[in-house]
Amino acid sequence: MAAIRKSGHAQRWPAARILISQGILHALLLGMSVMAIFPFVWMTFASFKPFKELVESKDLLPHTWTLQNFEEILNRVNFVAAFRNSLVAAISVTVVSVFTSAVMGYIFSKYRFPGKELLFTIILSTMMVPFAVVMVPLYVTIARDFKLADELGGIIVTGFFTAFGIFLMRQFMESIPFELIDAARIDGASEWRIFFMLVLPMSLSPMSALAVFVFLSNWDSYLWPLIVLNSLDKQTLPLVLAGLRNLWWTRYEMWAAGSILTVVPIMIIYSFASRYFIRGIAMTGLKA
Amino acid sequence: MTSMAGKGQTAEEAVGFQRVWLMLRKALRKPQFWFGVTMITPLLAWYWIFSFRPIIGAFRMSTVTYKIMEPANSPFVGIGNFLKIAQHPLFLVSIKNTLLWAALSFVFNLPLAMLIAVFLSKVRRGRNIYQALIFIPVVVSLVAVSLLFRMLMDPEVGQLNKLLSSVGLPELQWLSSSATALPTAVIIAAWKGIGFFVVILTAGILNIPAELYDAALVDGTNAWQQFWRITLPLLGHTVVLITVLLAIGSLQEFTLPTVLTQGGPGSATYLYNMLIYEEAFVDTRFGTATAASLLQFVFILTISILQIKLIRPTWSY
Repeated sequence: MAAIRKSGHAQRWPAARILISQGILHALLLGMSVMAIFPFVWMTFASFKPFKELVESKDLLPHTWTLQNFEEILNRVNFVAAFRNSLVAAISVTVVSVFTSAVMGYIFSKYRFPGKELLFTIILSTMMVPFAVVMVPLYVTIARDFKLADELGGIIVTGFFTAFGIFLMRQFMESIPFELIDAARIDGASEWRIFFMLVLPMSLSPMSALAVFVFLSNWDSYLWPLIVLNSLDKQTLPLVLAGLRNLWWTRYEMWAAGSILTVVPIMIIYSFASRYFIRGIAMTGLKA
Repeated sequence: MTSMAGKGQTAEEAVGFQRVWLMLRKALRKPQFWFGVTMITPLLAWYWIFSFRPIIGAFRMSTVTYKIMEPANSPFVGIGNFLKIAQHPLFLVSIKNTLLWAALSFVFNLPLAMLIAVFLSKVRRGRNIYQALIFIPVVVSLVAVSLLFRMLMDPEVGQLNKLLSSVGLPELQWLSSSATALPTAVIIAAWKGIGFFVVILTAGILNIPAELYDAALVDGTNAWQQFWRITLPLLGHTVVLITVLLAIGSLQEFTLPTVLTQGGPGSATYLYNMLIYEEAFVDTRFGTATAASLLQFVFILTISILQIKLIRPTWSY
């Protein structure tokens, strides 16, 4: 990212032309941005409208503001339990898999042992296998060997390692100089100390990008929880949200309220972490 | 252990054994060794249980009529499951829909993503803000997005039809007509996913050395020529990456059509992954479902290799 071109050819263009072309760019990009977020703005206001107004009125802002949608949805559907399940699953998977990715990234970049490259290649190539292939055997493993069918643990344990995370962390740790680690070893630091006190603090930036990525993809995950979790009180937010469709056919104010409850935590995290996240995505593109 | 090796063996063998033992002892004394072993053992165990064994298991499962109660006694049927899934009434329909879905994904994603990325690379201020806004649909739950567009696109009371009729255009059936349901669903998928490709492409464009554009400007080229002669060729690696990602993703689409239309109306948006899911967990035919998924695996692998072979540039900078 070092070679970012801030103002490529500033001197050669007359000032007025630059002003006009930049103005057009801003207008177009603003238009794109509005298209990206306007549906969410509409949905936010829709969640405060009574049903009759939502289907009849064209206006964006509610004429009568009401909290009744949220009240009803929290009374009728166990959103609180779903919220807790989603939170527990997403946080557990994030904490464990970010840690394992950092450790394995460190080992794959700084250790030498027979079969290292082969093991790394095999782990990466599991990313090529479509989820549909492992879906059924994995469910059999979870249900029969671990007795975790319809348990939150069933969607947590399968996320403890991620090939993408190990790859990302190894790419980063390649840039940590060997000399630094050797110096710490000569000073008598144990391997654990080197990892926790030296390597981890240096890797906080890619780790936070990975953490946001893992958290969001688990928060939004639908297919695997759909397979593992059946009872209503065990389900995660996306499952309960999708269930609203059958529970309240075309009661759109409920759909809007439920969606808002699901989306708000994501938006809070995103507003803090969007920069790390976008940088992380951009990095994977450049490294490929 | 060295003394054990001595008895009943030739001298050469004993020396070789001793050398291995010495190397092992040296490794055992290193603190790195114990750190490495403590960390790699759980990795190997986890990957074996949750990744390698299920993949191997899938190949075995696809050749048997899987008995859930006593899997060891599942009768072997050879390629029977593959023949059976090929005769499924929705097999061809779902393949046709999935290929159409993938093709439309390219049409709706790539040109627009490229255009936005070029805009973003040219704009001097506010690039990060625009990028963050365009990226928002990527992070929002797919289920919430599906519900949102079901509301907006309701043919009777949806906001989109109200908008169309207020500017004098004819109203559309959107997801409710089998003619328009699939393209509409792909547009929603593209609306949600495009920010991801925009970010990768923008990073790629900004990574191209500025001197190339300065030199091109001296030669009197215009923006159009710069795009086709500099940006696009030098973006080759990034374009390969996103076409592969787009193909892999769109050929495995499941959540959006499931929540949006449940495959309907009729089977207009019924995709291949929905067939696998229903075969496995609605009809509990594990064998045929896994056979179907292996067909998908082979197809996706072939497509990815073809894409890499065909578009990968032979140079790098």
